[in-house]
Amino acid sequence: MAKRKFNIAPYLLILPSFIYLVLFFAWPMGRSLQLAFQKDAEILPVRTAVGDDMDVVGYLPMQIEVAITDRERSEETLPNGRTRPVYWFKIAGESEEGEQVEGWVNQKYLQVQSRTESTSARVVSGEGTQEWTLDYVKRMVNDHNFMDALTTTLILLVLILPIQFALAITMALVLQARLKGSTIFLYIYAIPLGISDLAAGLVWVNIFTQHGFLNTFLQRLGIIDSPYIFLSAENKHWMIVAIVLAEVWRATSIVMVIVVSGLQSIPDEYLEAGQLFGASLWQRLRHIILPLLRPSLQVALILRTILAFQVFAVVVALTGGRVITVLAYETYRWYDPGDSGFNNPHVAAAYAGFIMLISLVFSVVYLRTVRTQEQGAST
Amino acid sequence: MTSAAQSRTTPRSVALDAEQKRALRNLRLRRASIYALAILIAVWILAPIWLIATMAFSTQADVYAYPKQVVPVPFTTATMDFFLNYAGILDATLNSVIVAVLTLVFSTTIAVPAGYAVSRYLFPGRNSYRLVILAVRAFPIVILAVPLAVTFLQWGLYDKVYSVALMHTALTLPTTILVVSSVFASVPVEFEEAARVFGASPLRAFVRVVLPLVLPGIAASAIFTFVMSWNEVFAATLLTVRNRTLPALILYTLNKSSLQFQYAGGFFMLVPSMIFIFFIRRYLFNMWGQITK
Repeated sequence: MAKRKFNIAPYLLILPSFIYLVLFFAWPMGRSLQLAFQKDAEILPVRTAVGDDMDVVGYLPMQIEVAITDRERSEETLPNGRTRPVYWFKIAGESEEGEQVEGWVNQKYLQVQSRTESTSARVVSGEGTQEWTLDYVKRMVNDHNFMDALTTTLILLVLILPIQFALAITMALVLQARLKGSTIFLYIYAIPLGISDLAAGLVWVNIFTQHGFLNTFLQRLGIIDSPYIFLSAENKHWMIVAIVLAEVWRATSIVMVIVVSGLQSIPDEYLEAGQLFGASLWQRLRHIILPLLRPSLQVALILRTILAFQVFAVVVALTGGRVITVLAYETYRWYDPGDSGFNNPHVAAAYAGFIMLISLVFSVVYLRTVRTQEQGAST
Repeated sequence: MTSAAQSRTTPRSVALDAEQKRALRNLRLRRASIYALAILIAVWILAPIWLIATMAFSTQADVYAYPKQVVPVPFTTATMDFFLNYAGILDATLNSVIVAVLTLVFSTTIAVPAGYAVSRYLFPGRNSYRLVILAVRAFPIVILAVPLAVTFLQWGLYDKVYSVALMHTALTLPTTILVVSSVFASVPVEFEEAARVFGASPLRAFVRVVLPLVLPGIAASAIFTFVMSWNEVFAATLLTVRNRTLPALILYTLNKSSLQFQYAGGFFMLVPSMIFIFFIRRYLFNMWGQITK
């Protein structure tokens, strides 16, 4: 921070990262919206005179009838040296916007009965173009899996987040108590940071599967007589339970780490003062720790919510993705060219855009809620 | 404050009155209950890992046996061997390692200058840059994967190992920049200035004074980048068909694969992450602490 006069150095230093993020972040972002909202279409450019390089007077849509008002025959030289006749037609038709367009087009775009005599023709091809459309978004919303995926994702969010935050705060407070051997606890609590969602899913398959450990324990305890099939299509609620446990198991550590670094920034005096005045643990938590942790909790909340909208591999591992589906799995399913997918990147991009939209909405809501609370507190 | 300090300095030989004894007992009870809680949470995290490890080192008969036993007796590597010899697993593992190493190299190379700039210079646009990085960090990878797969297909980069690495670099770069800048911020700028005063060039001051001090932190961040790439499954699945990474291959074959394969695969993916997290455990809080600011 010592250097204050204008200096080009920092700009040169951040330039590579900036270029990289434009290329591989901003650009695909734009491309994603384009994929979701644009489709390839054909329109026919109509020109002022005969010739591909003439000015365009207007465009005609596909598959309309047009009147032929004039024609001109010319010769085209083929690569082998021979020539063949090429017709240009002066046509008149109505554009998409309802305006009358009249001008010249090459015969290849039209279907005509007789090149020398017909007075009308049909537009059959044109040039590729992009047109804005809501078709893909409609297709996404009308897909019978859409509501399922959205509700399941939201249910998971509502079930997972409170458990996760309560557990993370407990873990952080336990670490903060500075027990003997707390470095070992610290490492153990941090292990899930490095565990992938797929591995976590498989770990919990091992527990919840029919001949798995949960059934073994329940039977040993005499709660059940024979193995219960938790992960079946008839037991969607048990699948949800399994996903919730796997996600809490895997993704609580990141919240814990954020809470711990938040706790470290709280001066010890505050907590000691609370203790001195005889505040119970719960009172200290409620009136000292949690209010001071608010910025950290806000960050963790936004991060976890955004990650929750992307929950994917855990669900696939535990349910196969078909019985219980989530937004990220639908994105994958629509993109996937393999046997289970539809191979439609446009609808996949619409899903991706939808995930981005709800992530943004939730983040803004969280930020605003906290800000108004702070304003309320300061007045 | 004073009463707490006094009770703490009370010599042992002095007989405690009943009040103090009760307080001491309460304190011990509280400590014991916190210990119990700490161990309970540790078991909650470790037990599932132990159980999948048990399966990974059990015989095929034991993998399908019911009820299950919680220790791998008889111990065997047959299940792991079966997984590692499964068609394509070694190639996929190699792909995963290449992708993760490339991601680590790309990400660190780009992030170190950027992190240095953010921590050492006060320049117009610095805060906006930081804000952009923070925003990008929070963005869902799911959104980027689809358009990038489509674009890579057009560019002829589809199904290439390095294209997955390019994608993973976009995913890890913002985190790496923030972490590296916090690592630089922990080295006082005065050290550098002192070297300059004694006649070192800016580059020499950086290489001889700053670099040795930040190297462990940057190595920790690089390892974390490796782990993030090693674990990433969604983008890797979309971007590859034949050259799949390990998670992508396991995910893709999930519906057709045996439990044996799934347990061994799950365990195999866990191991490197656990080892790496062990090495960087001291840095984790600095890393994430910085990100929350």
